[in-house]
Amino acid sequence: MKSLQMDLDRKIAVTSALIYGGISITAALVFFLAATSVGTYTNVARFGGAAWVMLLSFIVTMPLVISFVKKRMKA
Amino acid sequence: MATKQITIPIVGMTCASCVAHIEGGLNNLSGIEKASVNLGSGKANVEYDPGRVSPHKMFDAIADVGYQVGTAEATLHVLGMTCASCVAQIEGALNELEGVTKAAVSLATNTAKVAYVPTMVTVAQMKHAIRDVGYDVSEQTDSSASALDREREARQQELKRQQRNLLIATPIAALVMLGTFRQMLPPEIQQFIPELLSEKWFLALLTTPLVFGPGRQFFVNSWRGLKHGVTDMNLLYATGIGAAYGIAVINVLFPQAGFGGEGATFFESAALLTWFIVLGRYLEALTRGRTSDAIRKLMSLQPKIARVIRRDGSSQGQEIEIPAEEVEIQDLILVRPGERIAVDGVVSDGYSAVDESMLTGESLPVEKKAGDNVIGGTMNKTGSFKFVATRVGKDTALAQIIQLVEDAQASKAPIQKLADWVAGHFILGVHLLAILVFVFWFFVGYQLYFDPNTRFMLSPYTLGEMGVFGFALLLSVTVLVISCPCAVGLATPSAMMAGTGKAAEYNVLFKNAEAIENTSKLQTIVFDKTGTLTKGEPSVTNVISDQSSEVGRQNEILRLAAIAEKNSEHPLGEAIVRGAAARGLSVSEPQSFNSIPGYGVEAHAEEREILLGNRKLMKQRGVNIGELLPQAEQLEQDGKTVMFVATSSLRSPRAWNLGLIAVADTLKEHSAEAIRQLHKLGIETVMITGDNARTASAIAKQVGIDRVLAEVLPQDKANEVKKLQAQGKRVSMVGDGVNDAPALAQANVGMAIGSGTDVAKETGHVILIKDDLRDVVVAIEIGKATMRKVKQNLFWAFIYNTLGIPIAAGLLYPYFQVVISPEIAAALMAISSLTVTFNTLLLRGFVPSLKRERGTGIPSKRTAQPAHVPAPATSGGAE
Repeated sequence: MKSLQMDLDRKIAVTSALIYGGISITAALVFFLAATSVGTYTNVARFGGAAWVMLLSFIVTMPLVISFVKKRMKA
Repeated sequence: MATKQITIPIVGMTCASCVAHIEGGLNNLSGIEKASVNLGSGKANVEYDPGRVSPHKMFDAIADVGYQVGTAEATLHVLGMTCASCVAQIEGALNELEGVTKAAVSLATNTAKVAYVPTMVTVAQMKHAIRDVGYDVSEQTDSSASALDREREARQQELKRQQRNLLIATPIAALVMLGTFRQMLPPEIQQFIPELLSEKWFLALLTTPLVFGPGRQFFVNSWRGLKHGVTDMNLLYATGIGAAYGIAVINVLFPQAGFGGEGATFFESAALLTWFIVLGRYLEALTRGRTSDAIRKLMSLQPKIARVIRRDGSSQGQEIEIPAEEVEIQDLILVRPGERIAVDGVVSDGYSAVDESMLTGESLPVEKKAGDNVIGGTMNKTGSFKFVATRVGKDTALAQIIQLVEDAQASKAPIQKLADWVAGHFILGVHLLAILVFVFWFFVGYQLYFDPNTRFMLSPYTLGEMGVFGFALLLSVTVLVISCPCAVGLATPSAMMAGTGKAAEYNVLFKNAEAIENTSKLQTIVFDKTGTLTKGEPSVTNVISDQSSEVGRQNEILRLAAIAEKNSEHPLGEAIVRGAAARGLSVSEPQSFNSIPGYGVEAHAEEREILLGNRKLMKQRGVNIGELLPQAEQLEQDGKTVMFVATSSLRSPRAWNLGLIAVADTLKEHSAEAIRQLHKLGIETVMITGDNARTASAIAKQVGIDRVLAEVLPQDKANEVKKLQAQGKRVSMVGDGVNDAPALAQANVGMAIGSGTDVAKETGHVILIKDDLRDVVVAIEIGKATMRKVKQNLFWAFIYNTLGIPIAAGLLYPYFQVVISPEIAAALMAISSLTVTFNTLLLRGFVPSLKRERGTGIPSKRTAQPAHVPAPATSGGAE
C-alpha cells in the first residue's frame, strides 16, 4: 500500500516536472528568440534574460502545475 | 486496481438500522468494494479503490445519512512559520493526509490544531508531513504548566536562531558597507578603513557566507515549499537575495556584462538585503511572542505542586507533595495560607478567604467554609483548609479558560481569511509581475527612458554603465523584494491574539476571532430580563405602617411578617425573611404557623396573632385595610406585589395594627449604568421578557431600555432575534447561557453572562464570567479596539506594497530617473512588519472606558440601593 502511494507521488512529480519544465523552457526560448531577432542585445543579456525568465516562469508554474496534477491524479 | 482498507469510527449509532443506513450510504459510493459497520465497536471497515473514492467522500456519505465520524484533536507546536503563506503551506500538507478532517494553523500562536480520525492517521504522520514542508514541530500535551514551558522554550529557540543569524549578518553587512562606500567617506575616516575592504574579491568573500549562512533558511524553505506545490515569502527573499548575489558575482567575473562595469559592485545589495530580512525576522520573533502574554499569565496561575493527603491504611492519612497534574478526583488536598489552590474542588474542612480575582474578577477575597467550591489557580489568603478534588487536569476551570482563549486565538476571523488568501496568492502574482517588469524594461523601457546619470534612491551611486539586462533585472528583483506581504499575514492574527488576551484579562472570553469581529459591528443588543437585567428573585422594596413612617415601626412590621413566613417556602415569603435579615432584624420561631392557600399565612408569636396575605385574607378575617388601599394600589400600578400585614395582641384581639409590604424583582446593581454606556456607544437596547407589557415597560423605564419585547414565550426568543436580524440589524443577545441557548445561538453574537468558571458548558459566542452587565460594554469596546487595530495593521501592511510596487517597477522612472535599490526595498518591508507588530503591541495598553473610570477613582454613577422593578407578572411566558 505504501509503495502504491510512493508510485503515485513519483508519477505526480514526474508529470508535473515535464509540464512546468516545458512551460518554463518554452518561455525562455521565446524570450531568447525575441531578444535575438528584435534588437542588438549582447550574449549576456540574451542568455541571462532567458535564464531569468525561465527561473521566474519555473517559480510561477511549479506550484500551480503540481497542485493541478495532484488533484487530477488523486481524484 | 489495488484496493485499500480503512477503519472509520462512527458516532451516533444506536441500533442495527443505523448499521444498515451507514452501510447503504457507503456502498452507494462508486469505488467502495465492501463496507461493513460494527455496532458494538462503533466502527466501519471499508475496502475501497483509492483511485475512485476518497475517505473525505466517505465522511460526507456518513454525514449525509445522519451520523458523524469520530475524530480526535491534536495540537501541534510548529516552529519556523513566518507568514501567512506558511500557514497555507502547513494546512495544505496536513489536509492532504488521509484521515485529517480539519487542520487550522495559527501563525500567531505557532500552533496547528488538527481534527483527525485516529484509526487512519497518527500524530507522528502529521509531524512528518509538517517537517516535510520545512518546519519543525512538537506535540502539545494537556498539561498547562509544561505547555507553558514548551511555549516559552519554543519561542526562545526561534528567537535564538534568528539572533544567531543576526549576530553573524550584522558585522559582515557592516564591513561590506564600509568597503563599498570607503571611497565616498571623508579622508579622515578613510584612513581607518583598510583598502582591502574595497576589493571586489574581498567583498565577495565577505558576502558569500552571509548569503549562504543566515540567508540559507530562505533558499531551503522555499525549495521545500516549491516541491510540494506551495509558495511563501521565503521564495521572494530567496529570488531577491539570489539575484542580487548573482548580479554581483557576474559583475566581478565579467565586468563588461552590463551590470555597472568595473566601478560597481552589487555585493552591498545582497549583503544588506540579507541583513534587513534577517533583522525583520529577528524583530518579528521578538515581538510576536509578546502578544500571547494573556495565555502565559493564565498558565502561570496553575500551581505545579499539590499537597495531597493520601490514606495508606492509617486513619490520619499521609501528607505528600505531588505534581498538580497528577491529582486525581476525590483526592483530599491541604491548602495553607499564601498557597495557590491546585485544582477545583469542594472544601471539606477548615475556613479561609480566597482571592479569586484573577479568574472571576471578584476584587474582594471570598470566604470559604466546608461545602463551598474552590477554583484551581486561585490564591488562599488567610487560613488553612482541606478540600476534595472534583475537577482535575484539563477539566478544571482554569484549564477550560486557557483552552477557550487558545482556541479563540487560533481561530480565523472572516477578515483574516481574506487577508490570508490575498497573502497566499500574492506571491505568484508578484513573480508574474516581476517577469512583466523585466520583459518591459528589457525590450522597451531601457531604450526609451534609460539615463546613465540615474541614481538609486538614498544612494550616491549612479547606474552609469548599467546595461539593458542589468537594469531590467534590477527593477525585476526590486519588485520581488518590495512586494513581500509578510506584514499582511501578521496584521490580523496578531491583533486578534492581543484582543482575545486583553478581553480575558477583563473576564470576557471570546470563543473565536469571528465573535470579536461581529461584536465590533453590533447595532442592537437584546437583554433577557429575569436574571440578566434583574436579579431574578423578588426582594422587599417598600414597608408601610398605618401608624407611623418611622423606620423602627416599619422594621417591626417587617420583623413580624418574617416570623410568620419563617417556615414558608413561598418565594414571596422567602423574600420577606431575606429582607428582615438584610436589615439585621432578629426573627424568632413562630409558636404556630398555618398556611392558607390562595390567601396567605397566619401565625402566633410573642403573644400576638399575625396575619400576612392579600385582600381576600383581610376581608375574610374582618380586618379593615381601607386606610392603606390607596398606597397599595399605587404600588401595584408600579407592578409590585403587595401583601398586607395585620397584628394584634392576644390579650386584645381584633385591635389590629396594620402595615403592608411590597415585593418586586430588583434590578442588578450595574444594569442601568451598562445601558447608559451602550447608548453612548450608539447601540440600541431591547429587553425581551415573558412579562406582560405593563410590567415590562415599568422595568424598561427604570433601566433606560429603548424598546421592549413583552409576553414572549421562552421558545420564541430566538424568533424575535431573527425578526430583528431580518430588519438588517446586527444583533447580540445577552442572557443565561443555558435557558437562552437558542436565542444566543441565533444572534450574531450571543453573550452568556454570569457563567462563573464553568465556561465549557456555556453556549454563546462570548462568555462573561462575572455577573456584571458592564462587561457587555467591555466586550464591545475591546471588539471595536481590536478591529480598529486590524484595520490599521492592514493599512500599514498594504500601504508599503501599494506605494512601493509601482515605484520599484519603474513607473516613476521616466519622470524622475530614480530607482529603488533592492536593499532599500528590503528595509521598507522590514519597517512594514515592524510597524504592524508595534502597532499591535499598543493594544496591550488598552483599558475599557468603565475600567478607566473605576481605575482613576472617579465614582461611577450607581444607585445607593438597587432600584426595584415589578415582580414578574407573566402572561404565560415564564422566563
